[in-house]
Amino acid sequence: MDQNLANLGAYFGAGIGAAISVVGAGLGIGRLASAALESSARQPEASGDLRTTMIIAAALIEGVALFSCVIAMLLAIK
Amino acid sequence: MGNENSSFVEIGNHNSVASHGTGAAELPQSQIFPTLLGTLGEHRELTFFHHHIIDLPVILYDKEYGFDLYASIKKMKEAGKYTLSATHKIVKAKNPNESPSLDLSVTSLVCFQWLSMLILILAFFIAGRRARKKTISTPKGIHNLLETIFVFIRDDVVVPNIPDKKVAYKLLPYFVSLFVFILLMNLFGLIPGGHTATGALGTTAGLAITALFVINGTAIRQIGLKNWLKHLLGGAPWYLFFIMVPIEIISLFTKPFALTIRLFANMTAGHVVLLSLVGLIFYLKTFAMAVVAIPFSVFMYALELLVAFLQAFIFTILTAVFTGLAIGEHSEHSEVH
Repeated sequence: MDQNLANLGAYFGAGIGAAISVVGAGLGIGRLASAALESSARQPEASGDLRTTMIIAAALIEGVALFSCVIAMLLAIK
Repeated sequence: MGNENSSFVEIGNHNSVASHGTGAAELPQSQIFPTLLGTLGEHRELTFFHHHIIDLPVILYDKEYGFDLYASIKKMKEAGKYTLSATHKIVKAKNPNESPSLDLSVTSLVCFQWLSMLILILAFFIAGRRARKKTISTPKGIHNLLETIFVFIRDDVVVPNIPDKKVAYKLLPYFVSLFVFILLMNLFGLIPGGHTATGALGTTAGLAITALFVINGTAIRQIGLKNWLKHLLGGAPWYLFFIMVPIEIISLFTKPFALTIRLFANMTAGHVVLLSLVGLIFYLKTFAMAVVAIPFSVFMYALELLVAFLQAFIFTILTAVFTGLAIGEHSEHSEVH
C-alpha cells in the first residue's frame, strides 16, 4: 500500500511537472515568435537574421523544457 | 512499477529478439504500446520490417570475466557465462541480478550510424573528385547537393557566429560533417524499416562530447589557457571566486548536456507520437480509428521531416554560437570586464 502511494505520488508529480513546464515553454516560445514576427513586419529586410536568432532562442527555451521532461521521466520510471 | 511504464525503460535498452517476429495483432492489449515503443530502441539483430537480415555481435566486458565476444545473442546463451533476464537484459548466468560492467555490443543503431558514415564518406569522396576537376559547367547531382549544404553552413552558420575568420574556416569541415551526419541519421529514421541512431542517448552524447572539445579547445588555443581560466571567473571581482567558478564550470558542461538531451528528446518524441497514433488502431481494434489516426500521423510525419532538418541545424548552429562566445568574449576583454 505504501509503495502504491509512493508510485502514485511519483506519477502525479511527473505529470504535473511536465504539464507546467510545457506551459512555461509554450509561453516563452509564443512571446518569442510574436516579437520576431512583429519586428520582421516592421523591417522585412532583416527577417533572415531574425529567423536564425529566433530559432536559436527557441532551441534554448526548449532545452529548459526538455530538462524538466527528463526530470519527469526519471520520476515516472523510478 | 506498473506494466505500462516498463515501456519507458525499454526505449533505452530494449534487447528483445522476439518482438520483431510477432505481429501486433496477436499481442495482448497491454503489450501493444510496449512492443511498438520497443522498436525504437537498440536491437541485437538487424531487421528490415520483420525480415531477419543478420545477427549482430555481442561484445561484453566484465571485471570478473574479462572481454567476451559472441557472434550473436544465441551463441552467448549457449556459451553459458551470460543469459537473458525476463526483461531482456543481459545478466550473468551465476547471478541474475548482476549485469556485465560494460556492454560494447554492436547494435542495430550502431549499424545505422556506420551506414550513414559510409554513405557520407562515399558521397563526399565522389563530390570532392568532381569538384577537383576544373570544369566550367555548373555542379550537378551529388556534387551540387553537397556544395549547397557546404555553402549554407559556411555563410549562414559558421562565419556569422565565429568572429575570427581564420578560425571559422579552420573549423568549417567539423561543422559541415556534424550537420550532414546528424541530418542523415535523422532521415534514416523516417525511412520505413530504418532506425534513428540519434534517438539513442549514446550517439547524441558522443556528438556533444566532440562539441565540448571543439568549443573549449578552440577557446584555449585562441585566447590562451590563462585567459580561458580567467573566463571561469565570469568577469566578477576576485572575492566572488567561490560562487562564480563552480557556476562557470557547471555551465561548461550544461551546454553539451543540453545539446545531448535536445537532439535525443526531439528525435524520440516524434517517433513516440507516431507509434502511439498507429498503436491506437490496434489498441481499440477498430478500423474507425484509422480514419482519425492515419491523416494525423501523416501530418506528424511531415512535421518529423521538418524537425529532422531543424534539429541538425540547431545542433550545428548552437555549437558554432558557443564556440564564437568562448572566443569572442575575450577579443576586447581587458576594458569591458
